[in-house]
Amino acid sequence: MLSLVRKRLLQLVIVVFILSIFTFGLMKLAPGDPVMSILNADEMMVTEANQANLRSDLGFDQPVYVQYGKWMHGLLKLDLGTSYMSGKPVWNEMMERLPITLQLTTGVLLVMFSISLPLGIISARYPRKWPDQISRILALIGASIPSFWLGLMLIYLFALKLQILPSNGMGSFAQMILPTFTLGFSLAAVYSRLIRAGLIECFSKDYIQAGRARGVKEWRILWVHAFRAALLPVITVFGLSMGSLLGGAVVIEILFSWPGLGSMAVDAIFNRDYPVIQGYVLLTGVFVVVVNLLVDLSYYLIDPRIKQGKEGSN
Amino acid sequence: MTISVDFTQPLTNDYVKEETFFQSLPLLEIKNLSISSLGENKKEDIKLVKNINFTIKSGEMLGIVGESGSGKSLTACALVGLLPKSLKVTEGQIKLHGRELLNLSEKEMRRLRGNEIAYIFQNYQGSFTPFIKIGNQLIEALRSHRKISKLDAKKKVLIWLERVKLPANQVFTSYPYQLSGGQLQRAALAAALMFQPFLIVADEPTTALDVLTSENILDLLVELQKEYNCAVLLISHNLNHVLKRTDSIAVMYGGQIVERGLTNEIRKNPIHPYTKLLLQARPVLSRVVPEKLVVIPGEPGLVAEQGCAFALRCPKSFKKCSILPKMQSVGDSQWVACHAADLEADYTNASS
Repeated sequence: MLSLVRKRLLQLVIVVFILSIFTFGLMKLAPGDPVMSILNADEMMVTEANQANLRSDLGFDQPVYVQYGKWMHGLLKLDLGTSYMSGKPVWNEMMERLPITLQLTTGVLLVMFSISLPLGIISARYPRKWPDQISRILALIGASIPSFWLGLMLIYLFALKLQILPSNGMGSFAQMILPTFTLGFSLAAVYSRLIRAGLIECFSKDYIQAGRARGVKEWRILWVHAFRAALLPVITVFGLSMGSLLGGAVVIEILFSWPGLGSMAVDAIFNRDYPVIQGYVLLTGVFVVVVNLLVDLSYYLIDPRIKQGKEGSN
Repeated sequence: MTISVDFTQPLTNDYVKEETFFQSLPLLEIKNLSISSLGENKKEDIKLVKNINFTIKSGEMLGIVGESGSGKSLTACALVGLLPKSLKVTEGQIKLHGRELLNLSEKEMRRLRGNEIAYIFQNYQGSFTPFIKIGNQLIEALRSHRKISKLDAKKKVLIWLERVKLPANQVFTSYPYQLSGGQLQRAALAAALMFQPFLIVADEPTTALDVLTSENILDLLVELQKEYNCAVLLISHNLNHVLKRTDSIAVMYGGQIVERGLTNEIRKNPIHPYTKLLLQARPVLSRVVPEKLVVIPGEPGLVAEQGCAFALRCPKSFKKCSILPKMQSVGDSQWVACHAADLEADYTNASS
């Protein structure tokens, strides 16, 4: 187990390194000039001399590898540089916005599980009966509707027409509902099918029959014997979809005007605010790797056979 | 004569006396049981088990033999109400102590499973949930039926693991994958006997084990069965196991019971051609093994749709075999369903 953690931490370093090269390179290749946006933001006449000054201040006159080396050097000291636009350290900026995004994602996960768990369980218990058919249709809808469109429709219906929920902003519980539901619903669609498939597979196992033959109560069969094994594929996909959850959060944050990490990243991209973009990509990269590490560790808790290097055969 | 049975009390040795063994009321009575698969629209599709009858008395060990697909396991599953959803009991009665099991609610059935009828599976790896320790699963089973504290349950579980000759403390804290096949089957035996059920259904309990281990397990089963006087329904492919240990035998072919009776009678005097061929097909190891072993002609699993299921493979089949033969008693404790046997009987009667 410890060796796995060690291996994963090494992987983390490699992933972060590759990520940093990619983002750095892509930023340099992308059209647009941060110098112009910075100077335009001050709404002054921009002269050639101004531009040249700023360029050398930011180090843009140096070769790319030197720029990268400087940035990397800072990274080792956990210094991600300062934002071109706000002038604040990137780290501080991100830490300010992180809780907002975390609040959103926690809400999304809550919505997701409170929809997908009951739906998945019911459709596994009664396969091809009407609850299963409904969940199948919901899953199809949820998986095919883009979340920005769903968000717009929800805003139109609940904020504009019915006027019962606020369309933007954050802080109150009512303001949480629409954004979390928008993203949570499409995820729940996928997860309810995953939970269903996992449970149906588990129910067909011999040990479930054996448990029933011992007279174990049905709720214990479900939660203690079947559910744990059914969770394995669910958390695997969960780890993998962590990236898309954060990506989805970007759209939702813009749509509902949440000042989280996602909207920070979008602003940074529009302004060619390189340090902020790089900081954001690094943070999400680290986050995804760490979540996947936690997912791998949770396998051990769920199925002790994995610890022995034996993949489960029943 | 009526015998009142207190269901809350486990059976004790003096409940059924040896002398009254064969006169006592049957513990389990299966009458006219048919099981069918359900096709589209929940309609009865194929009849898999056809009108079978048998009884088991307390303390009796009944062996059911027959080839794969002859309906042995289905019958056993129907007993505990664990048939797959695609199958259904379409006819008949299953009575335990005179109580009809087919009418019980799911809740009552759950209370009965394990507690009154225990089930031991062929696939020992599937007897326990792979990611829960054996001890906890046994405690869970105990507490599903009895209101006892975890500590008391643990004590009882340890005693029973000891009874089935396992290193109790070690097995208690082991996961199923950490135990050998024989150990797992012993643990399954403990799980079954723990409740001192009226009936243990052992569905090919040793098929997946090696010869020595399976002998040990069966000996243990017999020993504990004697001690607690519970009935055992032993389903097996292994004729030697069945002949050696059971009190009576039912031979199944194609979903029908073709012959049943006391084991000794059937061993000495098999009447149905299938039973005869089955007994002949065993190599006798005390003699020189012949060049060619006797085999039953025809393809295993070949079942006649009408009449006697064995007719297509039967060396003695004749015209009448397309009509389903009735179960006829031969002597006091043997029944057979075969037209050819009737004919022979008539012939012997006429010639004598």
